[in-house]
Amino acid sequence: MLIDPTLWPKLHGASVHFPVALAMAAALFEGLGFFLPNSTRHKQNLHLAGYYLIILGALGTFPAVLSGLFMTHGATMGHGALLFHHLFVWPGFTLLVGLGVWRALVGDKFTRWGFGVYLIGLFLTAGLMAGAGYWGGELLLNS
Amino acid sequence: MNFSLETKNLKWALLAGSISLGGMLLAAVPIKMLTDSGANQAAVSAPSSESLSSPQLIERGSQFFAMSCAHCHGDDAHGDEGPDLYNLPVSNAYIKVMIKRGVKGEMPTFAKKYNDDQVAALVAYLRSLR
Repeated sequence: MLIDPTLWPKLHGASVHFPVALAMAAALFEGLGFFLPNSTRHKQNLHLAGYYLIILGALGTFPAVLSGLFMTHGATMGHGALLFHHLFVWPGFTLLVGLGVWRALVGDKFTRWGFGVYLIGLFLTAGLMAGAGYWGGELLLNS
Repeated sequence: MNFSLETKNLKWALLAGSISLGGMLLAAVPIKMLTDSGANQAAVSAPSSESLSSPQLIERGSQFFAMSCAHCHGDDAHGDEGPDLYNLPVSNAYIKVMIKRGVKGEMPTFAKKYNDDQVAALVAYLRSLR
């Protein structure tokens, strides 16, 4: 059966914004929760929101990456804007899945030091996702 | 105690990240085979990559381009009202479908104007733009 070749770009566009937004929102909420004083009422709520956001973000990367692979016929690097897109995608994807798994397993039993390292990783991931999105946009506009 | 929980789970996190990355990179191989075979089905009369480099075909494609595409994509295909067509990061089959179907509200369909051989010539020309 012949699959409409425009299906994969459509699915990639439909799925790719979720992990980007979820990773950024997780970084924002976890960061706010980390720096707010312990007495603040919303500290735990922010961490709880960040907990679910990073897990959903990690899960959301799989349809985004798979649809991208189908769209580019299995190209994992490419050239030009696609290459730059992938240079951000692969480390961002790996970090997001790793951080999501770590956060899911650790839950609320974290030390401040350990969570600080996690937070640095999370901000790095959010930056990588933003970079992947930027070069994805360049691909869309210039191809 | 929490610190040991964090380091213990760090191993799982590293493992999950590595497996996911490796899995996706490995999945790219069957995906490439699968999508390429689908593309071949789509491009029934589309020429192979080898014949796409034929100078005659490219020359023919450039004539069609000048007639039908240059006024939007620019005489040099570097874009004008329409996008730059150099180094297109999509398959030949995809280009063929785009030419035939057009893009709603943005680009007209050329299915009636050009037959499969003529579209193949256009694809060859676009592929030569590097």
